[in-house]
Amino acid sequence: MTTAIETLGLTKIFGGLVAVNHVDLTIPEKSIFSVIGPNGAGKTTFYNCITGFYTPDEGTVTFFGESLVGLGPDRVMYKGIARTYQNIRLFSSMTAIENILVGEHSRLTTNFVEAIFRTPRFRKEEEAALNEAKRLLKFVGLAGLGDQVARNLPYGAQRRLEIARALASKPKLLLLDEPTAGMNPHETKEMMHFIRNLRDELGITILLIEHDMRMVMGVSDQVAVLDYGSKIAEGSPEEIQRNPRVIEAYLGRGATTETVN
Amino acid sequence: MNKQINNGFRTGLIFGIINIFLILIGFPMVAGTIIKDAIHNDSTVLLGLNADILDMLIFMGLIGLWAGASGGRRLKGEVDTWLDALASSASSGFTNGLLVGGLAYLLGALNDAGVRISVYLAAILPATIKQLLLGKNTLDGALLEFGFLFVTGLLGGALGFALRGQWRKALGDWWKKIWSGFVNSAWVRKIRSHPLFMPAVYALGLVILYIIPQEAGKYWNYTLGTVGIYVLLGLGLNVVVGFAGLLDLGYVAFFAIGAYTVALLTAPNPHHLMWSFWVALPIGIVLAAAAGILLGIPVLRMRGDYLAIVTLGFGEIIRILATSDLLTPFSGGPKGVSAIGGPTLFGKPFSSDKDFVYLIMIGILLTIFVTTQLRSSRVGRAWEAMREDETVARAMGINTLTHKLMAFAIGAAFAGLGGVLFASRNQFTGPEDHNLMVSINVLSVVIVGGMGSIPGVIAGAFALKGLPEVLREVQDYRVLFFGALLVIMMIWRPEGLWPSSRRSMELGKADDNAKKNSGAPGGKP
Repeated sequence: MTTAIETLGLTKIFGGLVAVNHVDLTIPEKSIFSVIGPNGAGKTTFYNCITGFYTPDEGTVTFFGESLVGLGPDRVMYKGIARTYQNIRLFSSMTAIENILVGEHSRLTTNFVEAIFRTPRFRKEEEAALNEAKRLLKFVGLAGLGDQVARNLPYGAQRRLEIARALASKPKLLLLDEPTAGMNPHETKEMMHFIRNLRDELGITILLIEHDMRMVMGVSDQVAVLDYGSKIAEGSPEEIQRNPRVIEAYLGRGATTETVN
Repeated sequence: MNKQINNGFRTGLIFGIINIFLILIGFPMVAGTIIKDAIHNDSTVLLGLNADILDMLIFMGLIGLWAGASGGRRLKGEVDTWLDALASSASSGFTNGLLVGGLAYLLGALNDAGVRISVYLAAILPATIKQLLLGKNTLDGALLEFGFLFVTGLLGGALGFALRGQWRKALGDWWKKIWSGFVNSAWVRKIRSHPLFMPAVYALGLVILYIIPQEAGKYWNYTLGTVGIYVLLGLGLNVVVGFAGLLDLGYVAFFAIGAYTVALLTAPNPHHLMWSFWVALPIGIVLAAAAGILLGIPVLRMRGDYLAIVTLGFGEIIRILATSDLLTPFSGGPKGVSAIGGPTLFGKPFSSDKDFVYLIMIGILLTIFVTTQLRSSRVGRAWEAMREDETVARAMGINTLTHKLMAFAIGAAFAGLGGVLFASRNQFTGPEDHNLMVSINVLSVVIVGGMGSIPGVIAGAFALKGLPEVLREVQDYRVLFFGALLVIMMIWRPEGLWPSSRRSMELGKADDNAKKNSGAPGGKP
């Protein structure tokens, strides 16, 4: 199986705090890979290092054989990586469909001169872009809500719209940052199916940060655990559930001894 | 009941204080002059009252009605009965009357005691006090003033209540029925669906635009030209501030570059180039756009407040350069450049105020065309995304650097066009035409009109630059009016006079749907 993304010795330091500490991860193509860990473990910082928001202090990030270190977020997007955010960051006063159209930005090529004169190429591209946006809207189950301003959408719909916006760039790798935060069990279950669909139907590799353990264990092929910036475990969901270091990181040392006893 | 009374009391207090402020600066007397011009002439004596006092009563009456009507306004849904309305308007009118009556008594008493108040407050002449006391002696006048405001407050409350309640609903339903009947009637539909309908509307619009300057006199054409240049500047700044969300306080710099380009290229002094206006025009636009890019490069990484401060500095640098001794031989220094060339058409001069109105209109139409086309394109969406969340926009693959530069350059090009037309029309330009107030005025036009909204910017320019011309009488109070308008606007309509509406893209072009969904910032979630 080809490797989608590989990090070697990835390190990010803020002042005296080592937020990500020599993390090595290899994520195979078309897999669902979860990164878990207690609050403040460095999961989102790890994401930001991959997507070009931060430049890592040490280590490499390789995406299908190409290095991503030093590229800005816009260049990383062009390589085929899209992401969502822990706290929803939609363009809140634009409509749902406009949000998706912005997501298509990296795939569109017309410039402002063509826009002013509405060349045939411009019209064709815009029409195709709009159709694609409508299709994505339907794909995430928001058909009919396209003309709503994003901030007026219900919470779950905003989460799904954010995913649709990320999908609009036709990414090879999708980074989801706590997609079920604030969802009820029913919505979480739906999201689980949805994520599995993304992989099965679109063949996208998915990297997932998640706190909901039922979701993580139900959907992931592989799980890595971060604690204080370091990777403390990696393996299948079953292995992770049994790993004493993981239990310790989540529940403290006492919990481990109790479980062991 | 207590709540209504309390609310009325608070409203009355606010109105009373505003009223006192207006009286102390002599505003009611100025307003009286306008009323006099509007409805009657000097000599009219109605109900045995003399004209000045009648004007005062009309002005105070309107304020009183307003105060009364506002008494229960903020208690939506809690002013259910006539009694509630009575309570809130009575307390509002009482407080307002007490404050103004008290002021009238105080001023009257001081005047009676021989204190010359006009020494301290220039607007308060003995005649003004007499007017305030409605021509009566101090005690009677003050009581009468109080009573008048109390009664008009009650009337205002009743009026407001009636208009808020069922009457308003009935009126609204009636209008809706008539309107939908009209829009849906067979012949209206037939006309609207005709393929030539929109072209005909545009043609009619052009004919009207052609006729207006023909019919307007010299003065009005000059005024229209000034307003038009502000429309042009506003539309340009709208690209930078409204679309891309970059707060630019040095916009006047590009205006100055356009103006000085045409000045130096066409005037006999200081260079005696005497080029044609038509050659100078594109050069001015291109130079302004280039300056936009030059300014853009160093400030690319700045956001919000920092950007505002740097652009502010840039605007000032251009103005100070223009006044400097160093550049006096080049740019005319503090005296400016005069005898700037105007355009010619087929060998004939085309530079009267009327002709310039046409040129400015063409400029505006061009600007509207370019900005609307850009807005609904990849570039426009990228600008808007940048305005909403720059970090996420970058992560969507938008090159924020080039898009910022593009916004700066396009905005600057329109300012350059405005500058060329402005300098050429006035046949003069100097450093004082390009001070900070121009940037602030243009920014106010954009904000008052509605950020990002093209019709809004036009409405804003007419409101801020056209109204003061119409209200010549209150010229002295223009700045006050300006400030008050901005404050009021930001409180009641933070989205502007004519907020931008969103296009409905998923389900065709149903305008209603788009309008309904374009929530104001801070509107209902």
